[in-house]
Amino acid sequence: MNLGWRLFSIGVLVASLFGVLLLRLWFLQVTDIEASLVVAFEQRVRVVEIEAPRGDIFDRDGKELLAGTSATLRVVVDRRLVEEDQEEFLVRNLSALLTIPASEIRRTFEEKGEGARFPLGDQISQSTGISVLENIEDFPGVAIEPVPFRVYPLAETASHIVGYIGSPDAEDLKREEIEENDRVGKFGLESEYDSDLRGTPGRITFRVNAEGEILGVLEEIPPQPGGSLITTIDMDAQRFLEETLVSGVQLARLTEDEGVFRAAAVVLDATDGSIVAMASVPAFDPSIFSDGRLSQEDWGKLSEKAVFNNFAIQGLFPPGSSFKVIVNALARQYRISPALEAEYRDTVDQEADPTAFFSDGELLFPETPPLNDWKDGGHGLVDLSESLAQSVNTYYWSIALEIWNERNLLNDTGVVWPEELLQDFARDLGFGDRTEIDLPFEQPGLVPDREWFELNQRNLTGLVREEGSWTGGDLMNIATGQGALTVTPLQMAVAYAALVNGGTVWEPRIVESVRDGENNLVFRNLPSVANKIDFRPGVVEDLKDDLNGVVNSETGTAKTAFEGFCEADVPDDECAALQEVGGKTGTAEIFQADDPDAEVDTAWFVGAAPLSEPKWVVAVVIDRGGSGGRVAAPTARRIFQYLMGETPDAVRPGDESER
Amino acid sequence: MSQPIPGQVQLRPQVERSRPDFVMITIIASLTALGLLMILSTSGPRLEAEGAARASEMVRQSTFVVLGAVVFLVATILSDRQWRLLTPWVYAGTLFLLVLVLIIGELIQGAARWIPLGVVNLQPSEVAKPAVILILAALLAGAVKVKWLRILQAFALVGVPAVLIFLQPDLGTMLVFGFVAVVMLFVAGTDVRQIVILGLLALAALIFSIEANVLQEYQVKRLTGFLNPGEQTLEINYNQNQSQIAIAGGSMFGQGLFEGTQTNLAFVPAQTTDFIFTAVAEQLGFVGAATVIGLYAVLVFRLLVISSAARDRFGQLFAAGMAAMIAFHVFVNIGMTIGLLPVTGLPLPFLSFGGSFYISTLFGLGVAHSIWVHRSRVPLGAVPSRTV
Repeated sequence: MNLGWRLFSIGVLVASLFGVLLLRLWFLQVTDIEASLVVAFEQRVRVVEIEAPRGDIFDRDGKELLAGTSATLRVVVDRRLVEEDQEEFLVRNLSALLTIPASEIRRTFEEKGEGARFPLGDQISQSTGISVLENIEDFPGVAIEPVPFRVYPLAETASHIVGYIGSPDAEDLKREEIEENDRVGKFGLESEYDSDLRGTPGRITFRVNAEGEILGVLEEIPPQPGGSLITTIDMDAQRFLEETLVSGVQLARLTEDEGVFRAAAVVLDATDGSIVAMASVPAFDPSIFSDGRLSQEDWGKLSEKAVFNNFAIQGLFPPGSSFKVIVNALARQYRISPALEAEYRDTVDQEADPTAFFSDGELLFPETPPLNDWKDGGHGLVDLSESLAQSVNTYYWSIALEIWNERNLLNDTGVVWPEELLQDFARDLGFGDRTEIDLPFEQPGLVPDREWFELNQRNLTGLVREEGSWTGGDLMNIATGQGALTVTPLQMAVAYAALVNGGTVWEPRIVESVRDGENNLVFRNLPSVANKIDFRPGVVEDLKDDLNGVVNSETGTAKTAFEGFCEADVPDDECAALQEVGGKTGTAEIFQADDPDAEVDTAWFVGAAPLSEPKWVVAVVIDRGGSGGRVAAPTARRIFQYLMGETPDAVRPGDESER
Repeated sequence: MSQPIPGQVQLRPQVERSRPDFVMITIIASLTALGLLMILSTSGPRLEAEGAARASEMVRQSTFVVLGAVVFLVATILSDRQWRLLTPWVYAGTLFLLVLVLIIGELIQGAARWIPLGVVNLQPSEVAKPAVILILAALLAGAVKVKWLRILQAFALVGVPAVLIFLQPDLGTMLVFGFVAVVMLFVAGTDVRQIVILGLLALAALIFSIEANVLQEYQVKRLTGFLNPGEQTLEINYNQNQSQIAIAGGSMFGQGLFEGTQTNLAFVPAQTTDFIFTAVAEQLGFVGAATVIGLYAVLVFRLLVISSAARDRFGQLFAAGMAAMIAFHVFVNIGMTIGLLPVTGLPLPFLSFGGSFYISTLFGLGVAHSIWVHRSRVPLGAVPSRTV
């Protein structure tokens, strides 16, 4: 065997060894063995998501916390690490430790599924945590971990603004970042700004063996906390508003034995559309949702009481007489004189005062029952200003009648009024559509018109009469805030703000800015103008005077309610603040089929202050509250007292005259 | 120089014979360059994340490359004859270092393998590789027929450094010694019967050492772990599995330079050292990996050619020993990264980060190159009368 042969054999050996390497590489890289390796890898690692702390929600100063996240020590069960025959043992021990019924724990186990990892029970104390760790053999698969926990330090205060979180539904799960076990915002700001608040979860990739035991940490990505919201809410005003609204409800309740009272109030900044305060009754405590352990039954009970509705934006109410302000402004803008009944055409001199009108208490139409003023015998000779102060129904019906009669004709003022002059004006002010406030579930309301009427008649929806066509009577209904017209308290506030601030219809906002975990500005929600109405000179000023007349003239429907606006020893005519307040009562009549006598009217008061430089608009609605002048106006008065720096006194009943 | 005499074998002038082996040099240079690139691609992101300069590990390796080039040059300039004379000194010096490392070596991952020299650490077990090849070549060159006595002497000479290295402990290097010794004995002329007996003895020794707990538990695990790839309790298996996933991700043409996710995201441990091939295979794909293996094959082939061209038995044996060493390292290292062989901690020549092995490899290749440039004019085996 010579050298050449020996070297050749070595060469062959090396070549075959290298050949084996190439073969293996071929299988690994070129054939599809790769896929199976990836699968194998996934079985070998365990990825655990770390919940990101949800961002905070603050008031307008960024000081008072409406919602926050605290890390609480909690028991976390990892079912992958619990052997099947040990599960019952674990459940019993956990039941004793957390004082939760074993059946409930078993149910949670089932809900979360096999191999799930989830926190169980409430926050535990440091010492409980230590005792678990000391006796870990009694708690297989249990870890003690800080788990972010949503806290609502103000409980029921501002609960409808803040909202709550809950398990994701099918719709939420369509969002890429949401997973089955996540908690998502379901209501209020928690829902509207969910993607800003939620942050990005972190991830720990553990290396595990076939039994699922953790061998080490491969990768750790810390969670990114969510951004914080700075709202436009003034917490002092918010608290005051809520407290006062509850007093208003109590006042209404004096005449009622039972029944759920729904009420809402809004304080809107007329200069930029910011929500200063917003309340809805009844309220709830968002923390009942924090850990997702509210039972279906409890939820049902609360839901029945409608606590989970923000009536300020979700409540649809007929506005009643408070809508007359809109018609009043319209009449001024378009110089609409009320149509006179034949018998008064000679006695009432509309040449001298185009707004003059004689109220004898009823309007007569053939084949219909007479339409009555709320005051028996009528209000006598009134002009536009007085019609608002005294809330003269016949006056506003006659305005509507005038529009109806003169529709599509060249009228005395030299313009052609479209049939929907009133509806268009209402829509310009934001009625009939969402205000687009940054809160979920806002209702658009309804401004009825011929198109809507015919559509419903055709489809037999039952909302309109089956026979006949859209008539002037339907328009007259709108003019007094009755009929099918429905509005939200927020829409009323936005519309009044536009009327007193010179025509700017704001898109209201409740979040001023979003800031990230390091307090850097992420997003600023600048005031946004939804619409701008050009009023003829003087219209706004005259309207403001009329609004003041409601609260501050002898005949005003809210005169009694606003008496003693300043300190007790200051007479009303010397009370400067009272000269700066104006508004309108409203009592929307709701007829109940089964009990025509039952008092189920919706009480309204919407007003603005200070009138010389409008800043605040307050809208108060108390469902089933009865008379607006008696219930809603006193509630609003106390809020205005607060806003104007006067000493608020108790909510006491106002004048019940208005119906 | 005498005139050519007709009918006689022509002796060429020394100058003509000293033509360097450009193929070998080109292969060394390209693999080294690739190694630097791979070190940059795998250590860059990690270094950046640590706040260090992206290329700092590559720059460090570059200094070893420069040193290695100098060593290669010096080894080439000295003739093979001179190296044969120096062999006992090199061997003794290596033994001294191996003893020294046991005394002062610092503990790194349960193994004392380094002699700290300020800015760099010297790894004597790497230095021992060419030293053992030198001493075996010198020993076996002395006899045409390899008797059992000679084999025993050979194992004694390999055994002393092997035991010292085993005490460190460094299993991989011992295996290198074993493989190199068997190959060199084979080239030296042992018959097949002797080789078979030696192989059986080696197997017995391995089984005995496992059974008698001579090996540390982790060494046994390392050796047997790859047989149960599903067993995840082993850190070793984890390394290998990650490596295989990364390599599989490379597919035919690779993910592209600096694009390897697994290696860049540091899923693969020891990326720049023992698992550098993973980065090659992930980033350059099967084509790149096969090219690298092909380059090693050509290098081994060149060393075998040098062996056959050497002017004496020392040269023959040394070159064959180097071929064995390179081939073994390549096979064991790549075999480890692709899950074919156990994890033994043998670096990949030219590519793995680390100075000691790079420089000692270039030293060995330098001596082999010296053998080439001082080779005989005709292949040694072809002229029986010239056999020493």
